[in-house]
Amino acid sequence: MPLEKNDLHRGTLDMLILKIVAAGPLHGYAIAQRLQQISKDYFQVPQGSLYPALHRLEEREWVEAEWKDTSTGREAKFYTLTRKGRKQLEVEVLGWEKLADAVSLILRTAD
Amino acid sequence: MKKTHWLRRLWQKPLVERRLDSELQFHLEQQIADYIAEGMTREEARRRAHMEFGGVERFKEECREARWENHLELFYRDLKSTLRGLRKDPRFTIVAVMALALGIGASTAMFSVLYNALVAPFPYKDQGRLVTMRIRDLDRRGGSEDDGDFRGLLSYRELMEYKQQNRVFDGLIANCEIDVVYDSGANNSYMAANYVTPGTFELYGVAPLIGRGLEPADYEPGAAPVFVLRYATWTDDFGSDPGIVGKTFRLNGVSRTLVGVMPPRFAWGGANLWMPRDPAVTEVIRGEFPQYWGVVAHLKPGVSIEEADADLNVIGNRIAPVIRAESPAHSEDYPQHFRVSAESFVHAVVGAEFRRTLFVLFAAVGLLLVIGCANVANLLLARATTRGKEFAVRAALGASRGRLIRQLLLESLLLAVGGAVFGVLLAWAGIRALSAAMPPFTIPSETVIEMNGWVLLFGIGLAFATVIIFGLFPAFQASRVDLQDALRDSGKGLGGTAAKSRLRNAVIVLEVALSLILLFTASLFMRSFVAIQHVPLGWQPDHIVSGRLPLPRQRYKTGPQLVSFFQPLLQRLKSTPGVELASPVSTTPPYGGFGGTIEIPGKTHFGKWESLIQLVGEDYFSVVRQPLVSGRSFTEAEVSGAQKVAVINQTFQRRFLDDGDPLGRTISLEVLKDVPDAVRDPSFRIVGVAADAMNVGLERPTEPEVWVPYSVTGSVMRRLLVRTDPPPGAMIATVRKAVWAVDPDVAFADGAPLAEWLNTFSYAQPRLGFFLVATFATIGLVLVTLGVYSVIAYATSRRTHEIGIRMALGAARADVLGMILKNGLALLVPGIAVGLLASFAISRAVTTLLWGVSPYDPLTAVAVVFLLLLIGLLACWIPARRATRVDPVTALHCE
Repeated sequence: MPLEKNDLHRGTLDMLILKIVAAGPLHGYAIAQRLQQISKDYFQVPQGSLYPALHRLEEREWVEAEWKDTSTGREAKFYTLTRKGRKQLEVEVLGWEKLADAVSLILRTAD
Repeated sequence: MKKTHWLRRLWQKPLVERRLDSELQFHLEQQIADYIAEGMTREEARRRAHMEFGGVERFKEECREARWENHLELFYRDLKSTLRGLRKDPRFTIVAVMALALGIGASTAMFSVLYNALVAPFPYKDQGRLVTMRIRDLDRRGGSEDDGDFRGLLSYRELMEYKQQNRVFDGLIANCEIDVVYDSGANNSYMAANYVTPGTFELYGVAPLIGRGLEPADYEPGAAPVFVLRYATWTDDFGSDPGIVGKTFRLNGVSRTLVGVMPPRFAWGGANLWMPRDPAVTEVIRGEFPQYWGVVAHLKPGVSIEEADADLNVIGNRIAPVIRAESPAHSEDYPQHFRVSAESFVHAVVGAEFRRTLFVLFAAVGLLLVIGCANVANLLLARATTRGKEFAVRAALGASRGRLIRQLLLESLLLAVGGAVFGVLLAWAGIRALSAAMPPFTIPSETVIEMNGWVLLFGIGLAFATVIIFGLFPAFQASRVDLQDALRDSGKGLGGTAAKSRLRNAVIVLEVALSLILLFTASLFMRSFVAIQHVPLGWQPDHIVSGRLPLPRQRYKTGPQLVSFFQPLLQRLKSTPGVELASPVSTTPPYGGFGGTIEIPGKTHFGKWESLIQLVGEDYFSVVRQPLVSGRSFTEAEVSGAQKVAVINQTFQRRFLDDGDPLGRTISLEVLKDVPDAVRDPSFRIVGVAADAMNVGLERPTEPEVWVPYSVTGSVMRRLLVRTDPPPGAMIATVRKAVWAVDPDVAFADGAPLAEWLNTFSYAQPRLGFFLVATFATIGLVLVTLGVYSVIAYATSRRTHEIGIRMALGAARADVLGMILKNGLALLVPGIAVGLLASFAISRAVTTLLWGVSPYDPLTAVAVVFLLLLIGLLACWIPARRATRVDPVTALHCE
């Protein structure tokens, strides 16, 4: 995947997904909608790239998936954050905040 | 739906794919539905949704990859940490891998020998359905199946009857050994040949390597004489010359054309060459016709050996009275009570005794495999206990049970793979060593011993099963155990949970018991082997050259004809420098001639009286240095004049002539009436009594034996014994030259030092058995030592804390030492008791392989128990001493 201006790093996308899923069981489409809403369409990623990320997170046992009926009666795959996933999210958020702090500190003081 | 296990996904791919499809499809459909709700047309909504989603197939592929990538990464991480773990504990790793390798290697090598020697020794088609025929005298000792006492050769007359009347075979062929002298123009050489009957090569399904096989036309009367050559003879004696086919050779004075060379493994009858002969056609040329044939038949499909037996017995009972009535010379062929039986060809060729030796060896190696696996199991169990805490910590940190199991599984697999790799190397080396050590003539010359893939697989499978079962044990334990509990158990306990230590102890008891069985058996074999080597022969085999003299039957049919050959030969030999004395003989000691019935005038008795009869020259007793206890040997005049004089041995005297001085008395050797060049009145006057000597091999007591001048009959194969001054090996060529000088048509076959021959035939088999069992027992002992050591060392290290307290409270070193040794004894004593009982129970199985030692030999038992106890206590003593050296303060802090 060539990196473009508003592309997401894999790790960042993972973190965002974990954060969104933390709110409760969601299916892929809902996660995509939330991602777009929250970021106000800032990230220009094809929506399909969400799915490899979801499968990767499931495989690492950070999220778990279940097939359930939606409110409209269709069967969909719902993702939930696991205990491990929650820990991972904490670690990543912490790491992100530290990084963000460090970067903004450099940007402010290096002039 | 619960997350599918990744393994299951491997074979449930369609379902996984369907799930993936419907997940992505759901997204697209939702998006389209939303856009339509916003007011787009269906077509526009679809286009937009697809555009925003991106390539469906590409993301599907990425989803699949995401999973695999993850597994590879996890696997790599696990592999690294497992290897690190194994490196950290090299003693454990090395012992476990070596124990597995020894088990796998030894059992594979042994089973390969067993399979190639007993199940598929021949390169022949359908060899499991090939049978040979035997006729047993049910009134004699040889009634049992395994006894070598039977008739396996048939006269041409019987051959024809069985071939035509049977309803159980779809093919029957026969061979007849014949000695051939090959005259190359420059010199003569001896070759073992076989006459074969029509259909031989077809029955075996073996095509010649070059040229052609024997064809029906070759068997016709008046056909040009032809023969085919054995591969080894072709390469060794004729330099693999491919142009040899079509050339003519003078064999026994007849020009024969070589028509083909057989492939390497074809060696039927152990012959150098095969010549066609159809008994049905050549029967007309009686007199020079060979008398007895070995039979090989192929069972019809669906016919069992028992059915074949029944059919053959019907034929036997039909022809027996006819043959008894027709030819008195063959009256012994069908005794009063006889049984004809079909025997598996494979079994018939590999002797019952050697078969048993191989089975015992295989059982021994099986025990070794069990000991090896038990050892590994024990190591894994002990390791599991020490790692209980580690696993509890990791579980508390969030490692899933699956992950722990995966990691333990990986560790077990690595051990098993290591064991398998070294096991294969060991098996390969073992097979090479074993093929080299096979005693000659115990397995057919066709046999090639190669590694058996199936048993290798079995050994490796067993190793994998062991490590996986016992390797995973801690994973289940760790995931079940209450975390709090495991974390609190900081190594101060009494050696893990009671159940676990009971299991470990039981495994050690089993190991000790099995090792005792191995040691006991090995010691019995050793004592038996030593006993055989120390059998007083009663004569001296050193400095004797022995060989066979295949005399052309046309020219040497009668006693006087033999004298015309032997007298000049013995003269010539005696005047040869380096030769002391020489004598013809009918069989090479320790075998005393052929057996037959005898009578003593004026004595009546129940049952048959039998004795061995040996045909010798006047110097025989001096050649073999067998002393006479009374009377004298023969004179030269008695021998050349075929006088009916005899020397008997002490056993003969004790059994048949215990009423006074035997010298001058007369005995009647009835058996000499039945040979082709029959002695009409076989009454012999006793002139001497020889001291007893071994005369039915080395393992059986001396039988009655009579020596008579070789000149009394022209029948029976003759051999030559020559006592030399220099080492006998150097004199073989000299003897061969002397034989040719007397008659160029006679070859000196199989010439060899007698001591060497004795070594090969009488000692090689017990030596092989002893050597291998001893090797297995030693390995077993080492494994058991390691097993006892690891268990005691482990238990002791767990108690360091307790020992520290005891010593701080004033316990003497000796008390602590005694306490630990007592623990060791608690494992050793039950193991030894069980092992001893089991040894006595199963040693009956090896009785027939033992000689000169009882299977319940108390001395052996005591020695073995003592050895095992000593080594076991030594294994306890090392960790015990280490424990008592520990400074109490350190021990109390020990965590």
